[in-house]
Amino acid sequence: MRRRFLENLTLMSHSFERNRIWLGITILMAFLISIPFFASDYWVTLLVLILIYTVYAAGWNLFSGLTGYTNFGLAWFIGVGGYVSTLLIADYGFFWLFAWPIGALFTSIISIGVGYILLRIKGVYFAISMVALTEGTRELFGTEYLTPITHGGKGVPFVAGIRLPTLYWSILLLAFIAIIICYKITSSKFGLRLMAIREDEQAAETLGVHTTRDKIIAFILSAFFVGLAGAIHFTYQNYIDPTFAFNIQLTLTPIVMTLFGGVGTVFGPVIGATLFTFIHEILWAELTVLYMAIFGGILMVLVLFFPQGLLGWMKEKGIVPRIRKI
Amino acid sequence: MLGSVYALVGMGLTLVWGVVGIVNIAHGEFVMLGAYFAFWAFSLIHLNPLLSTAFSIPVFFFFGIMIHKRIMERLIKAQELAALILTFGMSILIWNLAQFLWTNTYRSVPYLTGNFPFFGLVLGKSKTVSFGLAVGITIALFTFLKYSKLGKGIRATSQNSEVALVCGINTMKMRSLTFGMGVGLAGAAGAIVSLQWVIFPQMGGSYISKAFAIVILGGLGNIHGALAGGLIIGVLESLITQYLSAKMAQIIPSMTILIILLLRPTGLFRK
Repeated sequence: MRRRFLENLTLMSHSFERNRIWLGITILMAFLISIPFFASDYWVTLLVLILIYTVYAAGWNLFSGLTGYTNFGLAWFIGVGGYVSTLLIADYGFFWLFAWPIGALFTSIISIGVGYILLRIKGVYFAISMVALTEGTRELFGTEYLTPITHGGKGVPFVAGIRLPTLYWSILLLAFIAIIICYKITSSKFGLRLMAIREDEQAAETLGVHTTRDKIIAFILSAFFVGLAGAIHFTYQNYIDPTFAFNIQLTLTPIVMTLFGGVGTVFGPVIGATLFTFIHEILWAELTVLYMAIFGGILMVLVLFFPQGLLGWMKEKGIVPRIRKI
Repeated sequence: MLGSVYALVGMGLTLVWGVVGIVNIAHGEFVMLGAYFAFWAFSLIHLNPLLSTAFSIPVFFFFGIMIHKRIMERLIKAQELAALILTFGMSILIWNLAQFLWTNTYRSVPYLTGNFPFFGLVLGKSKTVSFGLAVGITIALFTFLKYSKLGKGIRATSQNSEVALVCGINTMKMRSLTFGMGVGLAGAAGAIVSLQWVIFPQMGGSYISKAFAIVILGGLGNIHGALAGGLIIGVLESLITQYLSAKMAQIIPSMTILIILLLRPTGLFRK
């Protein structure tokens, strides 16, 4: 009797805590949604960038953070998603709301093939092959052979006719969904299987994990979110060209953000993206020329001294609980 | 001729990869630094580029050993991917610093311009000289690895570092040495490159993608393979530039990497 009472009590306190967390999330979301009504365009723009990079970082983390396959071709997802949606808007007069998901779907469908082929390559070789894929696609998009479709190296300027608040709300929704899905995956059996691949792929396979299938599913999911964010990114920029869309910096920034926040965690990419975009704003304003050098320096310091990231460090120190869900 | 320089870059990369186990993405940046070394040596103290190639090897050798001692040794126990990201950061740091210090201007070393006839072919003087230099350095490297005691130690470490350690080889020292040699080779390649082509801070990027293609073509850690791979890539590039377009030629390295990794991940040549 007494034991059951105690169990009920713990259950109740758990559900109370959960309610409190949900209340917090609701308040935060309400605040974020209402921002365009009172804040200036500068802040909304900054938030749009933060959210775009949050989705990139979360997308990278969803695949690479969990499976341990370093994806150095994130810009490929971004570029393909961005290019497809841009061309649909600019050349075929699609409404942006339809062009974005088509771009993202296209990215994920192609990445089924790419994942099926490339994901059998392991470790460093996978990273290199993804870089090669990105670089190859970039050069290919700029050649004269594809110019009728891609407009070649000179790029595509376009106007999607979308207002800043609408853009902000769409990316906010996307970021929210992406984080929820990352959260669900990390705390699910599927997430556990991915982590098993990260720790020891052969052992995981021996224990009955369908490694190829799981890797490809994670890869596609990552491609979908990153492709969608890429489509929104270039709609926001109103311009796309091969150098810009497949830029190595687009791969690098989300990786640094994730490393900074904590690889393989749910909220690490969010923290990383937020802090880093602010740092970027300050650095960009103060030191335009040395920006990349500082970036590289930070990357080196992170790998050498804080390989577990900010959230990992906080978990180690006991500031936040050591559970997979965070 | 192009291929011989690519082979030099590729051999440095494959040596470091095979022995130290680090995929040095900053390798292309060392080539760039080598090119700038030769350029400044030529324009400030009018040092002959051939001499500065000779000088660049020891300078970059010690530079490489220093980097290995200070930075890379902390990573030996860490994952391969951590090293990948680390050298990636280093690469960005170096090219951006170079851009900051020396600006984006395209520069070149005006030395040995002009052509000379050779059995019915017209050859560029600087190209021939740089080909000779590259071949000379390659032969020296092979001799060193094959016959000297240190070279044997390096090869032993590459084959099985634990057994090498048991046999009394200081593997840590061998690793630093190899890293230094890799960087030295990159520096020499850079100095040779400066004879023929323009130099600018971002030039490392194109060399690193070619070097990766070469390493993967030849098989990881296989120096003979890298030599052959370099020549293959060089010839392919010239052919495609000739018959398709220069833009298409730039796709070559990435296509090679993808195709070889998929079809024959151990490289074209058996060890």
